[in-house]
Amino acid sequence: MAGILKVPGAFDVTPHKVSLCILLQVYASPNQLFVPFPFSSFAQHNRLGLFLLALTKSCDDILEPKLHELINQSREIGSSSIDWLADHLISRLSSLSSPDDLFNLFTEMRGVLAGQDAGIVEDDQIILDPNSNLGIFLRRCILAFNLLSFEGVCHLLTNIASYCKEVLSSRAPHEAHLDGSGVNLMEASEYENMDLENLVFEKVTEEIEAKKKAGERIPFHLHVPTPIFGLVEDIELSAKPTFKQSTKGKEAISYAMTLDGSSGAVDHGFFLRSNWQIQGYLLEQTDAIEKHGSSFPLNALEFMLGQLQKLAPELHRVHFLRYLNSLYHDDYASALENLHKYFDYSAGIEGFDGIPPSSGFNNSGRYEIALLCSGMLHFHFGHPKQAVEALTEAVRVSQQHSNDTCLAYTLAAICNLLSEIGISNASGLLGSSYSPVANMGTSLSIHQQLFVLLKESLKRAESLKLKRLVASNHLAMAKFHLMHVQRPVLSFGPKASMKLITSPINVCKELRLSSNLISDFDIESSMMITDGSLSTTWLKNLHRQRGSSVIFEETEPGNRSNASSFFSQPNSIPGSVSQLVGASYLLRATAWEMYGSAPLARMNALVYATCFADCASSVDAAVAYGKLIQYLAAYKGYKAAFAALKTVEEKFISVSKSQIMVLKLQLLHERALHRGHSKLAQQICDELAVLSSPVTGVDMDLKAEASFRHARTLLAAKQFSEAAAVAHALFCMCYKFNLRVQDASTLLLLAEIHKKSGNAVLGIPYALASLSFCESFNLDLLKASATLTLAELWLSLGSIHAKRALTLIHSALPMILGHGGLELRARAHIAEAKCHLSDASFSVPETSGVVLDSLRQACDELQILEYHELAAEAFYLMAITFDKMGQLEEREQAASSFQKHIMALEKVTDEEDPLLK
Amino acid sequence: MGSKEICRNELRIAVRQLSDRCLYSASKWAAEQLVGIELDPVKFTPSNTRFQRGSSSIHRRFRNNEITSTPIAGVSYVSTPVMEEDDIVDGDFYLLAKSYFDCREYRRAAHVLRDQSGKKAVFLQCYALYLAGEKRKDEENIELEGPLGKSDAVNKELVSLERELSMLRKNGSIDPFGLYLYGLVLKEKGNEHLARNLLVESVNSYPWNWSAWSELQSLCTTIDILHSLPLNNHWMKDFFLAGAYQELRMHNESLAKYEYLQGTFSFSNYIQAQIAKVQYSLREFEQVEVIFEELLRNDPYRVEDMDMYSNVLYAKECFSALSYLAHRVFMTDKYRPESCCIIGNYYSLKGQHEKSVMYFRRALKLNKNCLSAWTLMGHEYIEMNNTPAAVDAYRRAVDINPCEFRAWYGLGQAYEMMGMPFYALHYFRKSVFLQPSDSRLWIAMAKCYENDQLHMLEEAIKCYRKAANSNDREAIALHQLAKLHRKLGRLEEAAFYYKKDLERMEAEERDGPNMVEALLFLATHCKDQKRFEEAEVYCTRLLDYTGPEKETAKSLLRGMRIAQSGFPSMSAEHFPP
Repeated sequence: MAGILKVPGAFDVTPHKVSLCILLQVYASPNQLFVPFPFSSFAQHNRLGLFLLALTKSCDDILEPKLHELINQSREIGSSSIDWLADHLISRLSSLSSPDDLFNLFTEMRGVLAGQDAGIVEDDQIILDPNSNLGIFLRRCILAFNLLSFEGVCHLLTNIASYCKEVLSSRAPHEAHLDGSGVNLMEASEYENMDLENLVFEKVTEEIEAKKKAGERIPFHLHVPTPIFGLVEDIELSAKPTFKQSTKGKEAISYAMTLDGSSGAVDHGFFLRSNWQIQGYLLEQTDAIEKHGSSFPLNALEFMLGQLQKLAPELHRVHFLRYLNSLYHDDYASALENLHKYFDYSAGIEGFDGIPPSSGFNNSGRYEIALLCSGMLHFHFGHPKQAVEALTEAVRVSQQHSNDTCLAYTLAAICNLLSEIGISNASGLLGSSYSPVANMGTSLSIHQQLFVLLKESLKRAESLKLKRLVASNHLAMAKFHLMHVQRPVLSFGPKASMKLITSPINVCKELRLSSNLISDFDIESSMMITDGSLSTTWLKNLHRQRGSSVIFEETEPGNRSNASSFFSQPNSIPGSVSQLVGASYLLRATAWEMYGSAPLARMNALVYATCFADCASSVDAAVAYGKLIQYLAAYKGYKAAFAALKTVEEKFISVSKSQIMVLKLQLLHERALHRGHSKLAQQICDELAVLSSPVTGVDMDLKAEASFRHARTLLAAKQFSEAAAVAHALFCMCYKFNLRVQDASTLLLLAEIHKKSGNAVLGIPYALASLSFCESFNLDLLKASATLTLAELWLSLGSIHAKRALTLIHSALPMILGHGGLELRARAHIAEAKCHLSDASFSVPETSGVVLDSLRQACDELQILEYHELAAEAFYLMAITFDKMGQLEEREQAASSFQKHIMALEKVTDEEDPLLK
Repeated sequence: MGSKEICRNELRIAVRQLSDRCLYSASKWAAEQLVGIELDPVKFTPSNTRFQRGSSSIHRRFRNNEITSTPIAGVSYVSTPVMEEDDIVDGDFYLLAKSYFDCREYRRAAHVLRDQSGKKAVFLQCYALYLAGEKRKDEENIELEGPLGKSDAVNKELVSLERELSMLRKNGSIDPFGLYLYGLVLKEKGNEHLARNLLVESVNSYPWNWSAWSELQSLCTTIDILHSLPLNNHWMKDFFLAGAYQELRMHNESLAKYEYLQGTFSFSNYIQAQIAKVQYSLREFEQVEVIFEELLRNDPYRVEDMDMYSNVLYAKECFSALSYLAHRVFMTDKYRPESCCIIGNYYSLKGQHEKSVMYFRRALKLNKNCLSAWTLMGHEYIEMNNTPAAVDAYRRAVDINPCEFRAWYGLGQAYEMMGMPFYALHYFRKSVFLQPSDSRLWIAMAKCYENDQLHMLEEAIKCYRKAANSNDREAIALHQLAKLHRKLGRLEEAAFYYKKDLERMEAEERDGPNMVEALLFLATHCKDQKRFEEAEVYCTRLLDYTGPEKETAKSLLRGMRIAQSGFPSMSAEHFPP
């Protein structure tokens, strides 16, 4: 039905193996004397033996070396007799002109083996023990040859002809006499016309060069050629353990050519080695795609996959890779198509275990995984409704087939989905068809449902011992605790305590639990096998297969270098695990950022960037770098931030464009606001808004951010009523989509707007509301900032409230000075100074030190930020203070600084910003 | 259209020229059309009468259409001068080579012609080489892998052929046949664009080579490509366009073209079969059956297209006719994919699915790209409840031709059977996209939406509405629409659809539980709406039926009388519907 899948590791006779046999014959020819003819010493003879041993070990590669490569390799034996060997090999091969010659060759081979009944064995006779490695190899070859049908023999013959035609044509002038190669030569010239190999190769090099030009350095060393080079490095394992280094580059290129050129319709087929090897290659590609996301070269991989599909049409995993590839390049149609194709062909079974599809018909396939994947696909493309449908169906089907593993993963996926889409989206989704939560009754809010689901999924994962899933569930739990107000789930009524507060302790606990994963993996690395169900983890399964074969080989003596090159990663912790652990650090950074501890947030981001960058997906890495840069901007000013941004941009050339892009726009916007370029700020703001997806309910963070900045821009342009309107709309949206943190900051912004518009009485309630929000969500820094705003509001109500304002400021100061950014600190300082100045009981000479100190600090900080407006204010206050103190010179100085800032603010020079390009 | 006489003369010469070049299928086609041209009554000769025999009802019907459906009447045709042969007398070597070729000894034929320089000889040499490569490729396919898997054997002659032909083309010494072959080679190598250009060049200079046209047709995958071809306006172009329209699922356009062509080629079996194909796509099974009966009468040993006839017989459940057909093709040529499909269909109708699968497999062994065999095999596996195998079979059909809506539909069905209605929707959507006029597809999709697990009734209603609008034979859609609306509490809509359904059932004189249900609902509904007269009509009709409905109707009637006589409040409590 589904074609005949070649048994993995099927042993066919290939031209390469025939040449090995010929060499073996030379090595152990039965009728030779003590040291066989071409060799001058034992050492040489032994070296040939070792060489052959290495070659036989590596005969299960994807690619077999071509004849000239084999000859080149054999030169490394470094004997004078090599030329003779090569000539002998070529002449033997090219003399095979009829099937009968092949038959004779293999009959001769039998003579090389010493049979049990060989009788007396002379002492100095060289005999190949039939049970030695070489002997077994030879016997396998003979057996495989004997199994061939006549057609098979004919194929072998044509393959041999094309195998040696290249060498022959290069040697043509002086070796033409060797055999009747006239015909071969003619054919060879005909093949030379096909420039396909070169063409492809040229294309690849061109692309490499183009990339190089585009970005000086190639940071990840992972651009176009990687699929090929990665493949090659994987293959190279073998054959030449001792003399690999010298020729590495060259070899790599020629391999790459042969694989690409195999589309050339001539001699492919006999380069296809074992399935496991190709699957190993696919495994690496999958990892690479997931890691690098959209920066992964779409077409290069697509091309390789096309080639592979031609070579191995029954290898359906290629479709899966295509799916992944187009998924990460946001090609919806093709992703959907390939996903369905993969599961239609393989029934989701291929890759789980070695069962060939023909025997797989008895069970009903793993279509629940198809559903899971299609759910994720819809989620990825922002179709929450479809995603929920698919995942619900996945739950049902996996319950039907009692596939608990898949069920656990599906539940986790649903949790993820629920926590990502906003509440207003979800409420319409969860109709009666929503079985996982249907039994919980409708009285529960989405959050409570999500919480219950998370718990359930966590329990299930724990009982199934899916370590990675447990860890990621813990992470999800932490995220939940971070973002949501904890409410008792199942106790209702007036008596239930309704304390609304997020629980940082739980967050911390969950994060720690998720990090336990890494120690688990140290202890028992075999547990990963059970994870076989998630879309990509079938590949892990394969990893295990390969791994076990490595262990097996290692028990055999003398070939360690081979074995170690099997490992692409020498450490025992798989990439996905360290990715998860890394994610926990990233989440920690985010948590601290929200709770308001800048140093801790920065530290965690740094840990992530330094320790997990190599296994992180490029998106995550970009987030971490973004956090660090934002930190720089807030604490060190824009110069430092932009310098850092530049390096990061280079690092992620085209990678996760939007992440870095958003960051850059944010910084630019911030700076434009500070400098007073409101037109520019508005422009940037619009650009930011364009980046988000037009679909409602998707990219909510970005949308909220854009509209928040819009309001701020309007505020800076003194269009208060518009600003208030925008902020109000934003608040409604955030409330609707359950973005609580944004709610708090929006309230604060509203307070700010009212403060600036001189309507302090209106502002106070907003500030208070924001304060209470911050308290319940443990947003300490934001709370400090809200307190500051409240103080400013009080202050603007008149000098009688100066005392109250001052107490407020003092209460917030520790937090602000410890964790606040430059702007916040400066504002606090100015506010404090203002309080002192407006206080009736204030006497200049006594307290001027305090005032001047804080004002000076504020000035320094604001100058770093180039925040002209506030800086002008600070200098103004300073000038007044100096005036009161009678220090005229300093007063003049301050006044001129004030003038400078005001001027800068007024002449909004449209100096072309190089970064905006 | 050029006068019949011109066509006849051109075709006569073409048949000879084509068979001279061993382009047998093209020459067969041309000869078929040649005898398909209607005879002028003046030149009526008794020896030709056998082709007149079949002028039955359909012919007359089609002839009536001729005047109305002449879309391009008045377009002047380009008359392509009949190609002159460069050497009137074939060389001796050519004769030998042709004999070898006729004996299917292609390499030998090519070898004989190796030093010949005449255009004909060069073409035949290349063509023989090409066919030798094809033959070897087929053999290798079997040697290298199982015949049902995909295989990557290639025609090894393509490279040298391409080189040679491109050289000839550069020299300008290539004839239209050479161009055709060149196009064929390029198409096989995947260079579709150039292949298309070459084929256009070929058919423009020698339009009677049907093989070139059909290659060209297979390269026209979209309507835009088709319209962008710079084709001369020869009458052969109409044949081409008709076929291309058919491939692009523009059935009505295609039908119009064929009917127009039938004006000249009124006895062409080919055109009849093509019309049958179009009608089959339009699901006009009655007509298809008539045409095929006619065809078989004229051409009893025909195997081509007969699998479609068997599909029609299958759909109509004509056991004996199908078995008769199977027997006939079996005796004619049992090793044709069509024959195997017919036999497979027969067994399927008999409910012997294992045997049926065996014959479909045989068909696939004979031609692994046999689309209908993959699809039909999928259907069999569905019947056998082996869904994974069915999915695999359907998927292969879809990969061969992504426009095969039946296979998409089958995939959807298979997944629905596995309890994955949401996943199945993807496939139903595909099939509906390809064949939006087929009510069965819409109904299947609607059922999927209506499924308990999805329960997306609004979408289901939309689908049923589509189905009701597109010629729903079994009248499922109306009934379902009514039911769904009732379920959703939209009584007015429900009443509307029940009424429609009722009218339809009356018109088709069908009876049954649906009728009772419709009457009962309408009666209660009218009563609730206080339209007592109407309600009475329905109730009285219900009285004709036996069973509980009769009693309900009686009590309804009673209730209404009481209500009309002044006790309106009683009715609701006492006689709940």
